[in-house]
Amino acid sequence: MTGRLTALLDTLLPGDGGDWPAAGAHGLAVHAARLADDMLGGAEAMAGVLDALPKGFVDLPQLRREEFLHEIEAQDAARFDAVITAAYNAYYTDPAIRDIIERLTGYPNRPPQPEGYVLDPFDESLLDAVKARGPIWRPVD
Amino acid sequence: MTQTADIVIVGAGAAGLAFAWAAVAPNIKVVVLEAGGHVNQRVAPSLASDWELALQTTFNANPNLRRGVADYPVDDSESVIRPAIFNAVGGSTIRWGAHFPRLRPSDFRKRTLDGVAADWPVSYKDLEPFYDLNDEIMGVSGLAGDPGNPPRATRSCPPLPLCPATRRLAAAYDRLGWHWWPSDAAILSRARGTRGACNNCGPCGVGCPRHARASADIAYLGVAQAQGVELRPGAVVTKLERLGHDITDVHYVDANGPARLSCGEVVMAGNALGNARLLTGIIDNPLFGCGLMLHPTAIVTGLFKQNQQSWRGAFASALVSQEFYESDESRGFIGGLQLQALRGQGPLTTALGGYGLRLPWGQRHKEDFVARFGHSLSLTVTCDDLPEGANRIALHATQTDRHGLPVPRMIYRVGENSQKMLDYGIKRASEALREAGARQIAINPLVRNGGFHLMGTARMGVDDQAGVTDARGRVHGMNNLSVVDASTFVTAAAVNPTPTLQAIALRAGTAMRDGKITQRAIA
Repeated sequence: MTGRLTALLDTLLPGDGGDWPAAGAHGLAVHAARLADDMLGGAEAMAGVLDALPKGFVDLPQLRREEFLHEIEAQDAARFDAVITAAYNAYYTDPAIRDIIERLTGYPNRPPQPEGYVLDPFDESLLDAVKARGPIWRPVD
Repeated sequence: MTQTADIVIVGAGAAGLAFAWAAVAPNIKVVVLEAGGHVNQRVAPSLASDWELALQTTFNANPNLRRGVADYPVDDSESVIRPAIFNAVGGSTIRWGAHFPRLRPSDFRKRTLDGVAADWPVSYKDLEPFYDLNDEIMGVSGLAGDPGNPPRATRSCPPLPLCPATRRLAAAYDRLGWHWWPSDAAILSRARGTRGACNNCGPCGVGCPRHARASADIAYLGVAQAQGVELRPGAVVTKLERLGHDITDVHYVDANGPARLSCGEVVMAGNALGNARLLTGIIDNPLFGCGLMLHPTAIVTGLFKQNQQSWRGAFASALVSQEFYESDESRGFIGGLQLQALRGQGPLTTALGGYGLRLPWGQRHKEDFVARFGHSLSLTVTCDDLPEGANRIALHATQTDRHGLPVPRMIYRVGENSQKMLDYGIKRASEALREAGARQIAINPLVRNGGFHLMGTARMGVDDQAGVTDARGRVHGMNNLSVVDASTFVTAAAVNPTPTLQAIALRAGTAMRDGKITQRAIA
């Protein structure tokens, strides 16, 4: 089952040959399965999609796997959506993937708190134009 | 032993705690019953790298998916918009963005000015001192002088700053000649007491460990308890006992089992869904439950070529445009809308679609992620929904929750006027984002998970023909029953309701404290 899940994850989130590793090859199968278990109906969705994979799926090339997954998605979009959510959850919370995100985008690989970001002062001069246009609310009395 | 209280408040959210603080006095015993427990925001999910998972689980806005111990199921099968409420001490302010706008004076005079809905039995001027008082207690950052609103008192903190993306937007509004102004936000930009200043982290919606972002528990609970208010968390109210025109007892269940409070006054602050479960059969006014207004919302997202690092800063409190707020017949609809800037989201939420469509899986995924993450800025199109009789809260005929209380049904469709408003607002939002330099526009025409403002099902009116309650939330035809949350709103306006519902609660609580109590508990 882990091999099929690894292949499924690699198809959903393939590597790009450069910065990004494929999700399955990155070793996220167990984590993705656990996160699916945490979701309402997630375990059933994961089991259903894995059961629907054809024999030999793990040995197929990426494009052929994608074709099969599109068919499975079309049969039951909600079920497939739960699997995608579990896959994305595992991938985008993985520390090594977060390192890559930091390197490519500047988003720091740390929690938002307690560090946060610098809170600059508001520049009131930005409001000169809108102030000059005057009131736009309707008085009622 | 029968317990007694002069005032029993059902619900410890934004309205209930504000009311409790205002109503309590040395000779008035106030007890607040809250089905949920405390949420310790000092250990909020934003202290962990996988904080975005909490948005799907413990901080999921939809009670049907969150399924916390205090949540009850909501039948939303007849609504195009799903409920987004939070059941805990602090209510939905635990799970909010703290955007804190006021209604305009014209919002209270819809019938007189626009010939639709009804006028409120209170005016902006009636509420203004309570708006000011509430702003002070909640702690509001902002700037007086907004030409889109009446003059108001200096805000207690300066406004939260703009970021690169919102600066672009502000400049675009200036080029278009449109109104904009920094948001009033219930988020401290300067430290105050035990509350720290905002540090611009972004995900306000999962609680604020610095307590910079206000919630009703942080702002009101401590000061209310210091004056004698008693809070009973984990207390699920199961029945109001009625005798003639009085509520004599409030029945509830907590960890110790069933209990009963003999009461002088009962104040409902459990939102339109929660109230309906207890008041159906108590209130016999045919208006009760009808005229549900929800703020149908579209979200338009602009994608910029350059990385804006738009994950920085309070996600929902940056700036607003109220250029299209007041009615203008030439637009083809009545009422108006607000455009509220929303910053970008975290990496996982971006991949899952953020405010729009999920990123595609497969070989295009990474390329799309890099193009979108940190590159987005969104605008909500928040509509002044009109009360329509078919939109309502009702009770399920057979389904009950684990306490035997009926499951509420949310019945809602987007009315013709609101749809026109959404369509118009989507065009204006797209225009603004393109002017700001967005190279691609993505449109979510209706936020399905946007049932966060439940208004109008116990609306105020001068008498029982015009409304369910009077101007202070007192239910017409009942001696000691009040409703003080957003369900008393007569019109929806095009802005978030919390400052207004809290001002109403403060006004009603003050009046009750100052001699309007007609009964006291039977000892």
